[in-house]
Amino acid sequence: MIDRREVIRMARLARLELSEMEIDQYQKDLTSFLTSGKKLQQVDVSRVEGTSHAVSVAHELRKDEVGKSLPQEAVLLGGPQVQDGFFRVPRIVEAQE
Amino acid sequence: MTSYDTVIGLEIHVALLTQSKFLCSCSASFGAPPNSQCCPICLGLPGALPLINEKAVEYATKAGLALNCQINHFSRFDRKNYFYPDLPKAYQITQDAFPLCTKGFLEYYVDDRLVQTEITRIHLEEEAGKLIHSGASIVDSEYSLVDYNRAGIPLIEIVTAPDIHHPRQARLFLEQLRLLMSYIGVSDTKMEEGSLRCDANISLKPNGSSVLGTKVEIKNLNSFRALERALEYEEMRQSQVLYRGGTIRQESRTWDDRAGKTMSMRSKGDAPDYRIFPEPDVPPLYLDPVWVELIRATIPELPLERLRRLEGQYGLSRYEATFLVNYPDFGELFFALVSQHFGYKSIVNFLMGDYARLAREKGHLNPKRIAGLLKIVDEGVISQTQGKGVLDDLFSSDLSAREIVEEKGLEVVGDPGRLRPIAREVLAANRELVSRFQNGETKLFGFFVGQVMRVTQGKADPGVVNELLRDELGK
Amino acid sequence: MKKLAHLLETRQVSSKEIVEHYLGEITRQEPTLNAFITVDGDEALRQAEASDKRRAEHRPLSLWDGIPIAIKDNISTQGLKTTCASRFLANYRPLFDATVVSSLKNAGLPIIGKTNLDEFAMGSSTEYSAYGVTRNPHDQARVSGGSSGGSAAAVAAGEIPWSLGTDTGGSIRQPASFCGVVGLKPTYGWVSRYGVVALAPSLDQVGPLATTVEDAATLFSLLAGPDPKDATSAAARVFEVPTWDGEFIKGLKIGVPEEFFSKGLHPEVEQAVRKGLGALEEQGAILIPISLSTNDYAIDTYLTLVTAEASSSLARYDGVRYGERALALDSNTMFAKSRAEGFGPEVKRRIMLGTYVLSASHYEAYYEQAQRVRTLIKQDVLEAFKQVDVIITPTTPTAAFRIGAKQSPLEMYLSDLFTAMANLSGIPALSVPCGKDSRGLPLGMQVMGNHFSESLLFRLGHFVEKTVGIEGGAVGDKL
Ligand SMILES: [Mg+2]
Ligand SMILES: [Zn+2]
Repeated sequence: MIDRREVIRMARLARLELSEMEIDQYQKDLTSFLTSGKKLQQVDVSRVEGTSHAVSVAHELRKDEVGKSLPQEAVLLGGPQVQDGFFRVPRIVEAQE
Repeated sequence: MTSYDTVIGLEIHVALLTQSKFLCSCSASFGAPPNSQCCPICLGLPGALPLINEKAVEYATKAGLALNCQINHFSRFDRKNYFYPDLPKAYQITQDAFPLCTKGFLEYYVDDRLVQTEITRIHLEEEAGKLIHSGASIVDSEYSLVDYNRAGIPLIEIVTAPDIHHPRQARLFLEQLRLLMSYIGVSDTKMEEGSLRCDANISLKPNGSSVLGTKVEIKNLNSFRALERALEYEEMRQSQVLYRGGTIRQESRTWDDRAGKTMSMRSKGDAPDYRIFPEPDVPPLYLDPVWVELIRATIPELPLERLRRLEGQYGLSRYEATFLVNYPDFGELFFALVSQHFGYKSIVNFLMGDYARLAREKGHLNPKRIAGLLKIVDEGVISQTQGKGVLDDLFSSDLSAREIVEEKGLEVVGDPGRLRPIAREVLAANRELVSRFQNGETKLFGFFVGQVMRVTQGKADPGVVNELLRDELGK
Repeated sequence: MKKLAHLLETRQVSSKEIVEHYLGEITRQEPTLNAFITVDGDEALRQAEASDKRRAEHRPLSLWDGIPIAIKDNISTQGLKTTCASRFLANYRPLFDATVVSSLKNAGLPIIGKTNLDEFAMGSSTEYSAYGVTRNPHDQARVSGGSSGGSAAAVAAGEIPWSLGTDTGGSIRQPASFCGVVGLKPTYGWVSRYGVVALAPSLDQVGPLATTVEDAATLFSLLAGPDPKDATSAAARVFEVPTWDGEFIKGLKIGVPEEFFSKGLHPEVEQAVRKGLGALEEQGAILIPISLSTNDYAIDTYLTLVTAEASSSLARYDGVRYGERALALDSNTMFAKSRAEGFGPEVKRRIMLGTYVLSASHYEAYYEQAQRVRTLIKQDVLEAFKQVDVIITPTTPTAAFRIGAKQSPLEMYLSDLFTAMANLSGIPALSVPCGKDSRGLPLGMQVMGNHFSESLLFRLGHFVEKTVGIEGGAVGDKL
């Protein structure tokens, strides 16, 4: 079983407020997933690099040209709380990780 | 008692001077109304995808070349994950394991000693948005406002090895780095606008030890002075802790400029866990070595090379040469004037004198107009003193120096036939002083010269006046 | 669809009539089926009228101008709600169209609505939708598959002639198989991902669902192509619908990987696929037993990578710029509460897993390891294509399961057992119906090919459909 404190740490990192029941549940789920994932660790991968992109493509860079931005009203349209052209957020306290 | 060596490393973020942002085509300019330079990409809207700006790669490469780095043929982008209201995607696109540039160095003077600081790496990344707090500072604000105009502006992060040995050296390094960035034109390097930012790591180790001590990171260093003061403070704080037998805690501290001290940033628990992994939305970057060479060819003369040339080729003093290097606009003027065959020293003296003061206020004059002034002074058409007046007029009118001279009827009177009666008059009016002079008070000579100049409204040729006065007083 | 296009072209039927027909089907069937999250009938009718006007003026935008389509609700449609089946985005209206949506609009296709899915495409049954489960048109007690369950069920039920889905580990092919329709997971990079809400960007692809292979190929031809807005899109490739002769079957080398015909495979599924293989062999194809041993690791590799990428891709849902926000006095609590309230349990579970495998002390053992195993899987697959032209497997180990049948998450993850490999290696894979089981549930055959071999997959799929499939698998009334 993975450590319950570890589950709580993950929830904090991922910014998920979990109930005690959820913590219990995810502790089980993480544990069972990691047990099955152990199989992967037995594979000899010493001779290969990781694949981060499925198909390699030539990277076409963008020309440095200014295009249209959205109008400010559109930008703010979906904002849960806006003020004077800004998005507003409650007090920022340093992360407790 | 053990004595300690200071070990400092710097991390510098430089905003690149591109037209558009790093990953989208929104304008990267400064000062627009809040959230008016945003699009789905820089707002991190669902489904929007980043597109790397070619110019940002070019500028980062240029910076790497100017800092003697290896430009890596292969580099890769990564996601650095953390939550913060100014970070739209809750991850920053940056380069971690495979940065664009590695293993470089910067050379600079500490007093008369040329030193080198190793550049560990330079990588590209995106800027976050800007926060405005409702209260005086972040801690006593009930809420904050977010502007994403700045989000996604391209940055390079330059990381040095921990081989800077004292606070002043750190400052000199940063000054030289800033100068270098402005020489190659990749950034406007304004510390006050945040386009150049510096974090410092500092640790102390017992004298001669090869094991590094626990390092402390200092943030919020908004000026060269702040960097030096904060490091001095921290050097002192840490040494006091160590002398008392205490241990240094690995932490981030913030510099409070007004209080003149660093303060712990209350980090509870472990170091942040950024869960960095390769950015799947951005393919890796493969730079063509031929392209890198093309970029290399665009690099102008760099500050240190220029300093050496000014000293070597033009025989300027370190002080003069440094002035011209540190103010590249004056440097450019110097070279423009040099090409018109004036004495190097007289040009420097001119540029560093009244001209510098006026140019700072009103902007530079066209080198041709300056040359016109230097020429008539050189030829003796007007005196040095008259030259100062003409310089003032050059800043306020469109006329050439010669036209000003003509309009004002300025000239140098060098005819002894016209000046001798004036000299005699002056001496006659100051009999008492003349006798004091003759009794050995030789410094009164200057007074007599001044009087002649005053009477002639500065038009008299000082050489001729000297000669005449000496002759008359000798009688 | 050719028939429909012909009717439109000869003005025997109007786009408006077609759209009205499908809207009628939607009204009739939705109460039980629940394939749609949003239906925008008014806008679809407006688009249909505009299409009819173009037709009247003899300037249609394409052959398919006026034929409506439905879009999976994790693909951005400007101004039209795009919820990703999440409470978090219940009221989110995108400010822009996904590139694939623009392409469809440019071809004149009216968009009828947005289809149901597992929240943020995380699931294999569409049970994890905040807007209710989508039922299987062939048996309402069963799931439609997922995560593109709504797109597959709507097509199968005749609510829409074709639709768009997304596929990260099988999310187009598995519901296509469960619902008895055709679905393609294209080569990674051939279809733009711009505007497609990310689950795992290195694996996600948009693809077509339709009742016939020909229709799927037609729809794919509207989607495939380079997009300057997607840096991972493949440069300058276009796709043309192939001709449908059967000549190519002679001598075609078909790889049959033993690993896909072993444990966990339902005998009726095996029987159906083998029957299809037999028919191909009769026509001159050469069946070659091959081994894809790395498929043993596919699910674990897939889960590690998909959860990791998802944990990061879904971090942007923090309640600052859009979406739902919970009340809180400080930002961190606001983030944590908004996300806790906005996300369903499966999404949270995957975010937790992904955070774990990426966190500093586990990165190397899990994420880095999975990326390397992915390389081995890709090598394994590409090696096989040196020997064979295509690989045929069942699409899923079983037919559609009952709603609520899969109790544990791991059990659910096994739904992707045969499909994840194509995503991990970036190759295209087509699911085509190949019969029904004894209860009348559709079964699917998966045809995988090398990168950019879609044309061959479609031709082969077409052949299978003609010989053993259930052509035009729609259950509902045909137009
Ligand atoms: Mg940085
Ligand atoms: Zn933008």
